[in-house]
Amino acid sequence: MTSTVHIDVHHLTRVEGHGNIVVNVTDGAIEKCEWQVPEAPRFFESMVRGRHYSEVARITSRICGICAVGHTLASVKATEDALGIEISAQSRKLREVLKHAENADSHVLHAYILVAPDLAGAPSVFPLVETMPDVVARALRLKRLCHEWGSLIGGRTTHPTTVVPGGMAEVPTVKQLAELKEKLLAAVPDLEATVETVAALAPNIPAFDRPTEYIGLSDDENYGLYDGLIQSVLPDGTKQRYPVADYRLVTNEFVVPQSTAKYTKNKLSSYAAGALARFNNNYDMLVPEAKRAAEALGLQPICTNPYMNTVAQVVEVVHSVYDSLRLIDELLDAGVRLEPLVQPTKHGRGIQSVEVPRGILFHEYDYDAAGICQGGNCIIPTNQNHNNIQHDFDVLVPELLAADTGEKEMELALEMLVRAYDPCISCSTHHLDVTFVR
Amino acid sequence: MRYLIGLGNYLAGDDGVGVHVVEHVVAHGLERGFTAVDLATNALNMVSYLGSETEAVLVIDAAHLGLEPGEFRIFAPDEVETQKELAGFSTHEGDPLKVLELARTAGYAIPPFAVMGIEPHGVEHGSPLSESLRARLPEYAAAAIEHLAGL
Repeated sequence: MTSTVHIDVHHLTRVEGHGNIVVNVTDGAIEKCEWQVPEAPRFFESMVRGRHYSEVARITSRICGICAVGHTLASVKATEDALGIEISAQSRKLREVLKHAENADSHVLHAYILVAPDLAGAPSVFPLVETMPDVVARALRLKRLCHEWGSLIGGRTTHPTTVVPGGMAEVPTVKQLAELKEKLLAAVPDLEATVETVAALAPNIPAFDRPTEYIGLSDDENYGLYDGLIQSVLPDGTKQRYPVADYRLVTNEFVVPQSTAKYTKNKLSSYAAGALARFNNNYDMLVPEAKRAAEALGLQPICTNPYMNTVAQVVEVVHSVYDSLRLIDELLDAGVRLEPLVQPTKHGRGIQSVEVPRGILFHEYDYDAAGICQGGNCIIPTNQNHNNIQHDFDVLVPELLAADTGEKEMELALEMLVRAYDPCISCSTHHLDVTFVR
Repeated sequence: MRYLIGLGNYLAGDDGVGVHVVEHVVAHGLERGFTAVDLATNALNMVSYLGSETEAVLVIDAAHLGLEPGEFRIFAPDEVETQKELAGFSTHEGDPLKVLELARTAGYAIPPFAVMGIEPHGVEHGSPLSESLRARLPEYAAAAIEHLAGL
């Protein structure tokens, strides 16, 4: 058994934001084993106070450069809930296609750029350009497709402009939608190759199981990315649904000394959100092509290995492409037209949720009679995963010690675990830092 | 097509100056002969604007250049060395120089490309663009447009 370990990973790489891993083991005794989140709170809830309802999503969209679509959709949906707005079937379908684009875009980035280097034994994606050039080229092709896919529906993928309270401010033409359909169909070989690549790398995914609670949106008609009820599934398959308005009863936020981000828990000591949680909750609602991908990748519900979250993301990419093709066909059959925005029928409190790449996202707002925001609340999925990551650490570290794992190997295993959750701790500052060489 | 791309976090002080310049260009109808793009913090999407069909790209971003806050410099990627960790490649760290390097090594045809780096006062979350940089947005826009036209 490994007796002495000192791991201090300050600002873990290949995650979005800043998080630290600290493990101290002396003479076999675990003195410290922590996933630490030192990011400063950003107080978006205070930024929306005093703003007109038409401005709120513009602000909250800026919470994240990756999940900007999700934050826009959650924000607009919550505002529509508060204002008594029911959008049209066309608007909902367009938003669902947009949601799929964001999910696929983020998952492609995570699987290919952030996780694949671990599975291929490389420090970053750059060495893979030499050793796996076709894979990197495919990653960039898929990334570009997702960008074009989202931009067509959202006006732009990062901080979309078309999604507004009451519907869609702009809609694509029939010709543009037909072209998008052709692009998605043309990407099918890349999807199949992605599944093959991940299947080939899958033996390098650590074997680790820690049953936990999995929470995500769910409904009876689709996979539950854009809408649904909150659903919890326990390791024994027991499911329970909650109205979205009761999200505080599910999230139960609390603070811990090691993290500036709040922790959450529901039925068990922690729960997981994200692609694996959605897969475990909603497997039956996946399109057949995605179910076949899951089978090829050895993923079955209820999977309790958190490292498999990336595999679930790949399954979701397949689902998003094929479900978007279905939605586009329905839009083309009905004919797409610019519709007037639905106007408010009341003012009050609104609570809504969407699934973003990293899990279930909640937005809540209060509006006065003039449509001015009086307060807001936002619970992001990464915060809902911090507690689960810590509980994974609590089980994984003793297992690694018992298996005589060396310090470097243990450090990599813990880093890979955190990366598997695809945490988006903060879309913080990102400015250039350079020195001139000539 | 020519692209003027703004990068940065809109809600992190001067980190978002690139996005503010793009907004200024669009709001004042200066988008002629090129397309202005707000990529926010998602620099990896820059690959969508690289390729043989692209004539030129100018990226505007906050940059620690050792200049006085508000001063700027337009440079080619090969004039500088990035000080960011290679292993830290992520959307969060969205370094356009690293994205360019990745695209180049992956075989993308890289068009004429330049970066306009603007020295920030501060990049704190929740703070607005500093007044001194805001006052110079027309100057930044004019310089960027002129340089892009000559690339």
